[in-house]
Amino acid sequence: MGGILSLPVLGVAVIYGITGIPNFAIGVIGVFGGFVTWYFLSYNMGLAIAIGVVVCFIIGWIVQRVLLTPISEMGGDATLFFIITIAVGFVFEGLLRAIFPRPNISLELPRIGTISFAGFSVEGFKIIALLFAIGTLIIIRLMEEHTEMGKSWQATSQNLKLAKLIGIKTTQVFSIASGLGCALACIGAIFWGSLYNLQLSSGWDLGFLGFIVAVVGGIGNIWGGLISALIMGMVMSFSGYLLGGEWQSVILYCIVILVLIIAPKGILGSERSL
Amino acid sequence: MKDHYEKISTIGILLLPLLFVLRGGYLQEVTGYVYLFLIQGYVAWFLFFKSGQPFFGYSVTMAIGAYGTIVLNVMFGWPVLGAMFISAAFAPVVSVILFLATIRAKGFYVSMTSFLLAILFPRLINALQDITGGRSGLYFSGITEFIGYRPLYIIVIVWTVVVAIIFLWLMGTKTGKILTLISENDRLTQAVGINTFKYKMLAYTIAGFISGLGGALYVNYTGFISSIDIEVFTTLYIFFIPLIGGSSLFFGPILGALFVILIPELLVPVERYFRIFFGLIFILVIVLLPEGLAPNVQKLLKRIRKNKE
Repeated sequence: MGGILSLPVLGVAVIYGITGIPNFAIGVIGVFGGFVTWYFLSYNMGLAIAIGVVVCFIIGWIVQRVLLTPISEMGGDATLFFIITIAVGFVFEGLLRAIFPRPNISLELPRIGTISFAGFSVEGFKIIALLFAIGTLIIIRLMEEHTEMGKSWQATSQNLKLAKLIGIKTTQVFSIASGLGCALACIGAIFWGSLYNLQLSSGWDLGFLGFIVAVVGGIGNIWGGLISALIMGMVMSFSGYLLGGEWQSVILYCIVILVLIIAPKGILGSERSL
Repeated sequence: MKDHYEKISTIGILLLPLLFVLRGGYLQEVTGYVYLFLIQGYVAWFLFFKSGQPFFGYSVTMAIGAYGTIVLNVMFGWPVLGAMFISAAFAPVVSVILFLATIRAKGFYVSMTSFLLAILFPRLINALQDITGGRSGLYFSGITEFIGYRPLYIIVIVWTVVVAIIFLWLMGTKTGKILTLISENDRLTQAVGINTFKYKMLAYTIAGFISGLGGALYVNYTGFISSIDIEVFTTLYIFFIPLIGGSSLFFGPILGALFVILIPELLVPVERYFRIFFGLIFILVIVLLPEGLAPNVQKLLKRIRKNKE
């Protein structure tokens, strides 16, 4: 579970870490991409995934460029972004209902079976999702160290005014971060859709889960997000096993609320505060 | 004087639906529903917009009032009115505990904690489905069994007006002025020697109680409640009421409630596209009319009056 959760969490962390905007529509946009992938799956699997991911990147880019950055420049606060991104989520959930005829889909990707380790057996797909998240995280970190683009991300997240002064196109940086976050959420939705199934409303679950797990890790802190995704994934699995499926999310949300009360900056802390 | 005129006209507008009492039917049913949400909208107007408390647990306090009434009445045999008031009294316990627990945190963290509680609560209701009915819900005849549907409709309208008057009066008192000060600048209010903790506690208590009682009235009016009715989107719709209507003017929440409840009703023929339209209209109102509908409606009315003169 933690492996799949880690992708939308990473998406939230990337967007919040760079833009400082809490984007609650990310899950719905990701699931929209999952449905797009499903639509093209019968043609070619690789192409279908690529189309879904690219569509999500473009949506994330446009939403940031047209809506969120201008509101941010007008001085919008976190609460306003929370509300606006929920409304954006409504639009994309509505588009899903309008475009796709089926309310419930399953992405039939080739399965790789279960992997047994130390007496535990884990679905191979979940391991791949986790490895993918770790790989993405390492790539992001390497980009931050060695590429101009990565350095401009870092500069923008650390000091926006200074970044603007030294000529970094912060608007572009924000748009790319948002596109990247939505693309990661899409990959998370694809993994989710192949293991379980995707419903029209799955995006909210994925987005809210992604967001709260990111908050527990220390929102904007991508390592914290990854560790939190693993812990929360285990908590969900164990509580589901011990108490039944209905209690799974109750326990998860109780823990998150407690973490927020005890350590508002998350388990690893956050450079940005909400 | 102008302010006085706005208050009286708002109360007058709120009383208008009493004219539908004899007509009954769909219009009456929807109006009652709009008013039940307007009660919650005024709670959000008071607590979030006027007192500056970042609370998003309106669906939770409302649900405590609703479920508490059913549980106490049906399972423990309490009289309906007693069950309603006791469960309403329990609702502020949750809002105050949340306030106390997040006292060290700032702004958006408090919002997030209460928002998470709003996500958690319907899941808890599902998990406790043996008592609460979960998604299948619980039916409740409540007050309607004794007084019938029409008198209950009148009670809903009158109670909404009473709630509006209570908040209106409260905001004009010293307490209301201090709450406005807190919402403007919490630290400064504290610095001038005012015990802000006491006033915030009071705001959470009043808001929780009125929201809880509104929830108790809701379940009597609708005769049914399930976890779907108190999903996290309910809290968002409640919050949208003063936000869309405009929190600066007292009649703002009325426009907001009409917008939030009636737009979905009007969009029923295009149900498939409902969320797209709702989301888009919402974004447009927030971006183009950041003050909400009420100040713009007021400007428009003034312009029409000027043109006539």
